[in-house]
Amino acid sequence: MLPRTLKPRGGAAKQVICPYCRKQSEVAQRAMSIFCPHCRKRVILEDYKITSYYAVREFFTCGDVVVEKKGHVVAPIKAGNLTVKGKVQGKISATGTVKLAKNGTLKGDIEAASLKIEDGASFDGFVQIGVVPHTPE
Amino acid sequence: MADQATNNEFPTILGADAVFKGELTFDKGMRLLGKFEGQITSEGQLMVAEGASLNGDVKAATIRIDGQVKGNMSASSKVQLAASARLEGDLQTNRLEVAEGAVLIGRCVVGVNAKGDDGRDSKPLSRPSEAIPMSRPRTEATPVGAKR
Repeated sequence: MLPRTLKPRGGAAKQVICPYCRKQSEVAQRAMSIFCPHCRKRVILEDYKITSYYAVREFFTCGDVVVEKKGHVVAPIKAGNLTVKGKVQGKISATGTVKLAKNGTLKGDIEAASLKIEDGASFDGFVQIGVVPHTPE
Repeated sequence: MADQATNNEFPTILGADAVFKGELTFDKGMRLLGKFEGQITSEGQLMVAEGASLNGDVKAATIRIDGQVKGNMSASSKVQLAASARLEGDLQTNRLEVAEGAVLIGRCVVGVNAKGDDGRDSKPLSRPSEAIPMSRPRTEATPVGAKR
């Protein structure tokens, strides 16, 4: 059986991977959030910019996350791409690239397609780069 | 000319058909094209070429990996992983570059936390409870393009 997709009514579409079930869905380009057609969980599609202290139980989005210089995130993050210019404490899972900019600090495990650590950044944790993440049943 | 420059940079070369088991020390640079099992200690740079494999611990200034490596790496300057690289093991360095397509599995300590030979700096990051009172957390996550 083909997986169900949330077909957009006309207009441009994009593919997103649900951070909970890791399954792909097609959504409208302008959509800001959807309910995953596979696991029924709410999936946020927006890009985020963190400019201050931010501590939550989980921080999941299909968009890109940028932690600015004064940003400090204490949470497990699941995102498309993650750029850290400030501080992050928590497990990271990204479908794209994790980038640690100059003076960025990351403490936690990383699971991503690729990793870039610039000069001056610091990182401490277990990494899994370029390995396809486990898809839960 | 290019070959001569490479040879000057990497005077030690382990050929593609060579298999080495044991401990190896060199000063300037080494290019590994074959198979190596054991320990490498150097003040120079190590290059593991595509198709080469290394099984063991390495301590050097700069490590560039294009092939397969299993073991713990410690570099005082930089570790570079090319797109064809696969590294399974712990890593300790000041700078890390991982190209897209490279595979890296293991524990990493990069940057100021990486302290040369003695391992990690034990200084922890500030605990969230110290950074902000728990009674009233100041949270701010702004979606890009949102009106304030």
